[in-house]
Amino acid sequence: MPSVLAEPSLLPAFSKALDLSWISKMQVNQPAVLRRAQQIQARRTVKKEWQAAWLLKAVTFIDLTTLSGDDTSSNIQRLCYKAKYPIREDLLKTLNMHDKGLTTAAVCVYPARVCDAVRALKAAGCTIPVASVATGFPAGQTHLKTRLEEIRLAVEDGATEIDVVINRTLVLTGQWEALYDEIRQFRKACGEAHLKTILATGELGSLTNVYKASMIAMMAGSDFIKTSTGKETVNATFPVAIVMLRAIRDFFWKTGNKVGFKPAGGIRSAKDSLAWLSLVKEELGDEWLTPDLFRIGASTLLSDIERQVCNNPLSWDKLTSVFLRKKRKIPYWAMRTREKTSSDLPHCTQTSAFIQANPHLKWADWTRERECA
Amino acid sequence: MRTGVIGLILSPTFSFLEMMWRICPALAVGCTVVVLVPPASPTPLLLAQLAGELGSFPGILNVISGPASLGPVLASQPGVQKVTFCGAIEEGRALRRTLAGKGAELGLALGAESLLMLTEAADVDSAVEGVVDAAWSDRSAGGLRLLIQESVWDETMRRLQERMARLRGGRGLDGAVDMGARGAAAHDLAQRYVREARSQGAQVFQAGAVPSDSPFFPPTLVSDLPPASPCTQAEVPWPVVVASPFRTAKEALAVANGTPRGASASVWSERLGQALELGYGLRVGTVWINAHGLRNAEVPTGGCKESGSSWSGGPDGLYEYLRPSGTPARLSYFSENLNYGTFGLAVPSTLPAGPEIGPSPATPYGLLIGGHFQAPGARSSRPIQDAQGNLHGYVAEGGAKDIRGAVEAAHQAAPGWVGQSPGARATLLWALATALERREAALTSRLERHGTELKDAKVEVELSARQLRAWGARAQAQGHVLQVAGLKGPVLRLREPLGVLAIVCPDEWPLLAFVSLLAAALAHGNTVVLVPSGACPIPALELCQDMAALLPAGLVNVVTGDRDHLTRCLALHQDVQALWYFGSAQGSQFVEWASAGNLKPVWVNRGCPWAWDQEAKGAGRELGLRAARTKALWLPMGD
Repeated sequence: MPSVLAEPSLLPAFSKALDLSWISKMQVNQPAVLRRAQQIQARRTVKKEWQAAWLLKAVTFIDLTTLSGDDTSSNIQRLCYKAKYPIREDLLKTLNMHDKGLTTAAVCVYPARVCDAVRALKAAGCTIPVASVATGFPAGQTHLKTRLEEIRLAVEDGATEIDVVINRTLVLTGQWEALYDEIRQFRKACGEAHLKTILATGELGSLTNVYKASMIAMMAGSDFIKTSTGKETVNATFPVAIVMLRAIRDFFWKTGNKVGFKPAGGIRSAKDSLAWLSLVKEELGDEWLTPDLFRIGASTLLSDIERQVCNNPLSWDKLTSVFLRKKRKIPYWAMRTREKTSSDLPHCTQTSAFIQANPHLKWADWTRERECA
Repeated sequence: MRTGVIGLILSPTFSFLEMMWRICPALAVGCTVVVLVPPASPTPLLLAQLAGELGSFPGILNVISGPASLGPVLASQPGVQKVTFCGAIEEGRALRRTLAGKGAELGLALGAESLLMLTEAADVDSAVEGVVDAAWSDRSAGGLRLLIQESVWDETMRRLQERMARLRGGRGLDGAVDMGARGAAAHDLAQRYVREARSQGAQVFQAGAVPSDSPFFPPTLVSDLPPASPCTQAEVPWPVVVASPFRTAKEALAVANGTPRGASASVWSERLGQALELGYGLRVGTVWINAHGLRNAEVPTGGCKESGSSWSGGPDGLYEYLRPSGTPARLSYFSENLNYGTFGLAVPSTLPAGPEIGPSPATPYGLLIGGHFQAPGARSSRPIQDAQGNLHGYVAEGGAKDIRGAVEAAHQAAPGWVGQSPGARATLLWALATALERREAALTSRLERHGTELKDAKVEVELSARQLRAWGARAQAQGHVLQVAGLKGPVLRLREPLGVLAIVCPDEWPLLAFVSLLAAALAHGNTVVLVPSGACPIPALELCQDMAALLPAGLVNVVTGDRDHLTRCLALHQDVQALWYFGSAQGSQFVEWASAGNLKPVWVNRGCPWAWDQEAKGAGRELGLRAARTKALWLPMGD
């Protein structure tokens, strides 16, 4: 398992002069994209010990989020603690991952709560970045002056990542230069902080608009493009993600600069998160599967992943074998028949033995091993 | 009415689903099926066992697992009414030749190559996914011919190569692979094609995580193939994609329609007008707009030209297994001593029997070719005797040269006629009916001289006029919308003209049959070359005077002469799209044999006379079905 990201690696801010010819002829065919989305979900599933590995990897991508009206310093503190220790200690011990420093990628809060979050993380002794939403989240219908001031204040308070919301009015009326200028101003206001541009794809009307807005956002200097605020009726869906990932890839081919991707909203189950990882791997490749370039914005996802890791045969077998050894009465939910394997090591330690034997292996090699097996 | 016993011969790389597509309609209308499968696949045997366990009807589905050489044996069995052959083009040709004259009707579904046309107005990424669906997946039938507009060539090639790198091959049952393997034979075929393409100077790109041992073949992209190389005309095997550029949409259509195969194609363009124009212009059986490989039981799937004319799915798939009520079962009429080399080769010369007596007849009728009457190439005429043996008149002796001229004139008139609105076609047919009624007296007297009773002759003329009017009324835009479950958007079932239709008219009901066949063909937008009845061509030739005046030039061409010789010329002509023969049994057998040349659909009467005056025959549905071909146009919608 690769080491988790301690700080956001601050990529130098990259932006390009506006070139409308990159988007003028673009048309996205929606039925074809829908078909591709269904295909990916059906064809790239992960099982057994690789599933456990992918789930833990997915944890490292999560931006643990709380964006409610009733956030106070106590629930922010709990959130930050959860960010530092996302999975239960005993589960991590069974997978032999307790000493790898597994944490989520960031914590995402409202601008007023940034101070609390920074304080809580410092108290926990953790270097996870704090991300703040800004610019009139979630609707973005406030004056430009106040939006820029929000960003500056959040950065002053200690947020190192800013999630901004674009002006959907400009997209729907086709004012691409105005959109570009606005995002450039956000970029300047952020200064050294990471800029994530939320496109609010549920409100953009068509996949073609999503592509064009992504391109403009990247040209203006975003470090990440994000699908949605999480507050719309339709949040992150696969067809929209495919279009945005294609835009990221096209931008990379044209300029050599890698922009990250963050789906947010609607990702609640561990199975979904695995599908998202497969999608990014298929469309962009393994280099994008790092917290530098891929995040998942979720709040309840973590508990589902924890449950899945618990139910995974790997850790399950270890727990039941503990019970059997100590000859305790086995509760009915622990009754499972287990096949005897020829090897001496029980299943669960095979992964950790593999990891210990090959600490140099990167993420890419993990999945290649599976194909050869 | 159902057909009877169906034989089904499948290719070595058939898929179980394909087999079910063909078996289920047959069983549903009440036919029983015998399937011949290659020995490597045991699944159909299991299906037959399950069918046998049904109890009340054992034997409705029978499966024989054997080598391909059993195919002709199965097809020649007495009692088999129809054989459907799915497989390679050359084997289909050979089967067509062997089955000439045997009882079974032959339906061919040949070749698996498809075409993808990528215009500059397309969503290139989605089109690349379409290429993957078309060529590099387990659902794809065969290889792909990819036509890319020059302005998007570089972009498309880059995306294709990038996408190929992400494909995975492996054992088909592994859920996470995109492509399996199709056996050593398919692998060898693909390898031979790629080797030949390389040797002719093409660029070959292969990628993908595919095991490198024998039956697995990696996804392959061939580009820069010189247009003159034999690989451009040969069928592209799976999983090869051959890419070539084009400049304008018209050029693309010409290139696409230039291949001898016509199974399926897709057009990728976000401009609706352009997409529909290309979709209507392609001469294939199925066209998808901005999609590829979609298939459903309600939509007919089939081909044209050398891809055979057998259909599965939809109403056409059902008509394959039905025949008009009252038709007797098909029996073999094979005659062993028919020499295909000499049939109709030489025209027997007829010398006058004695000095001509009686009033000298009018000048001989010429041939109606290209809108005017002309003398035959051989510069000779043949005498026509009436019922008493007296000389009735002279008609031209047409030959091979005249046939060639007639077919060429028909081809020239075809685009104009297809472009006419259905209303205009109807008007012309009605005008012809009026002209025929004006000639009633003359036609009745001619028919009487040939031995028809007066009242029968009157009935014949009247029915002829009625046929013209009936078919005129049916000349509407033939196409309707199918509602397909699971697809958002319409699927159009279009009825398109075949092209140039050659018809050899029967001797019974000389005028009525001539007019019925002509009217049906014209109403559907075809242009025709007709050979009127040998014994009594003169009523038809009388009508030609009106046709020359009313109809556009070249629409109808009439060539008289020795029937066998003209049949030979038409059957062996490679540019005739279909041939209807109503003559002798030997002629029927020859026509079936010769149609293997360009695999044109033929309709023969096997020497049995028909009752043209009955509704079921004359204006019947069978004529309407055979006079046009179907095209399925898929239009998935969404933004």
